Amino acid sequence: MDEDDDKSIVDRYLAAERDPHRDPKTPITGLMVQYYHVCERELWFMSRGLDIDRETTNIQRGSYVDENSYDDRRKSYQINGRIQLDVLDSGDVMEVKVSSTLEKPARMQLLYYLWYLDEVLDIEKDGVLAYPKERKRENVELNDETRSEVENTIRGIIEVVERDAPPELEKKPYCDACLYQDICWV
Amino acid sequence: MPKDNHHIFADGELSRNEGTLRIDTLDGETEYLPVESVDTLYLHGQIDFNTRALGLLNDHGVPVHVFGWKDYYRGSYLPKREQVSGNTVVEQVRAYDDTDRRLRIAHDIIAASIHNMRANIQYYDGRTEDFGSAVDRLEEQKARIFDTTEINELRGIEATARKIYYRCFDRILRDPFELTKREYNPPTNEANALISFLNSMVYTTCVSAIRKTALDPTIGFVHEPGERRFTLSLDIADIFKPILADRVLFRLVNRQQVGIDDFESELGGCLLTEDGRAAVLEAFEETLDRTVEHPRLERKVSYKTLVRTDVYSLKKHILTGEPYRPTERWW
Repeated sequence: MDEDDDKSIVDRYLAAERDPHRDPKTPITGLMVQYYHVCERELWFMSRGLDIDRETTNIQRGSYVDENSYDDRRKSYQINGRIQLDVLDSGDVMEVKVSSTLEKPARMQLLYYLWYLDEVLDIEKDGVLAYPKERKRENVELNDETRSEVENTIRGIIEVVERDAPPELEKKPYCDACLYQDICWV
Repeated sequence: MPKDNHHIFADGELSRNEGTLRIDTLDGETEYLPVESVDTLYLHGQIDFNTRALGLLNDHGVPVHVFGWKDYYRGSYLPKREQVSGNTVVEQVRAYDDTDRRLRIAHDIIAASIHNMRANIQYYDGRTEDFGSAVDRLEEQKARIFDTTEINELRGIEATARKIYYRCFDRILRDPFELTKREYNPPTNEANALISFLNSMVYTTCVSAIRKTALDPTIGFVHEPGERRFTLSLDIADIFKPILADRVLFRLVNRQQVGIDDFESELGGCLLTEDGRAAVLEAFEETLDRTVEHPRLERKVSYKTLVRTDVYSLKKHILTGEPYRPTERWW
C-alpha cells in the first residue's frame, strides 16, 4: 500500500465522520483503539460480536474504579455514539484506568478522543490519564507525533477489522487476565 | 469465584426477601439463599413461586430447572438473555443450513462422544474385565464417521456405538445392578433409572452453559430442530454423558454409595427415592467441581467449566471458522 492510499484511508474516515448523513464503514470507538494496541485478535473478536464471560470480576472492578473516582469534578459526554469521555472542571479530557500496566493502549485511547474532538468537532483539548489507585497522573497532548500515531492506529484498526479471519493466536503476558481468554484458546 | 448449583428437594415456597431468596418449606423451616452465589437453581420438590422471585433470579442471570413427579425433567425458566447477538444466530442458522458445515460440526460432536465412551471402557479394560473387542469396535465406529455424508447415517453410527458401549455396563456395574438393555420412559430397572436421571442432569448443565452465550439452544447440528427439547443441548450433552453421567454411575454403584433400597418400583417403572436422588446429586455436583489441567488454557478448569468452554469453542467455530474442538477426555 503506498502513501497516498494510507492517507486516503484516514481522509475517508474523517469525511464520513464529519458528514451528519452517513457513517464510516468501520466506526471506531475508544475501546477499539485500546484493544488494537493490546491485542489485534481481541479487536477482531469484539468487532464480530463474540461475547465474553460476563461473570469475570475484572470488568466489574474497572467499572467500579471508573465510577467512583473524582466523580464530583468531571462530567461525562457521549459523542455520536462513538466516544464516551469525561471532561474535568479544568476543561481537560480525563481517562481513568485501574492500573498503569497497559499504559500505551490507555494513552492511545485518550489521544484518539483528543484527535476526534479536534478533527471532527473542531474542539481543541488536552488530556489527563489518571490511575487513582496508584495516585498517578500523566498529561497527554496532541502534536505532530501523537497525531500520526493516532492516524496509524486508525489505518491499523480498519485493516484488522476488515480481515475475513481472526489474527493468529499469540501468547501474550496478559492473556491470563483477558476477558476473551476462554474463547480465544479453546 | 465459580458459583455452585443449588438443589431444593423440599416442598414449599420460594420467594424474594429484599435482595435474597427465601425458601419456606412445608415442615416449617426457613432458609435464605444469597442469589449471587447460585449458578443454577434446581427445584426437585413441589415449589410455589411468584414473579418477584423469578425477577430476582432473572436479575442475577440464574436459570431454574424444574423437575416434576419422581424427578422427571419438566422444563426450565431461563433468565432474560444477557447475550444477544443477531450476528451469532444468523451464522448459527447458516452453519446448520449448509450441508457441509453442518456435517463437519456433527462429525466432530459424534467423534468426541465416541472417544469419551471409549475412554470409559478402556479405563475398565484389564481392570475388572476384558473389554478389548468393545474398545476396538468403538474405534471402528469412530473411524467410519468422517466418511459419512448424511446426518442420518451419522446418527446410525452414534446409535451403534452407544449400543456397544452400554453392553459393557452390565459387567462394569457391581451386582445386583444390571444393564442388559437401555430403557427409559419409564426406566425399567435401577441402572436404567440412574442413567436417565444423570443424563437429565447433564442435559440441564448444557442448557445453562448455552444460555451464557448468544447461541440459539433450539438449533442443533446432530439432532433435528423439530425435537421437543433444546436440540443444541442434546448435541453437547452427548459429548459429556460419558464424562459427567456414566463415570458417576459406575462410582456410585461400585462404591455402594447407592443401593437397591434407594429405588422404588411403581407402575412398571423404577425410580430413585428422595434419599437416592440426594446421594446421586451430591456425587454429580462433586464431579462438576473436579478440576483438570487444561493444555491450551494452561490452568486448572472444572468439568463444569469444560462444558462452557466447549460451547465457546463451537461458537467461535461458527463465527470465525477456527476449528471446533469438542471436549475429548485427555486426562
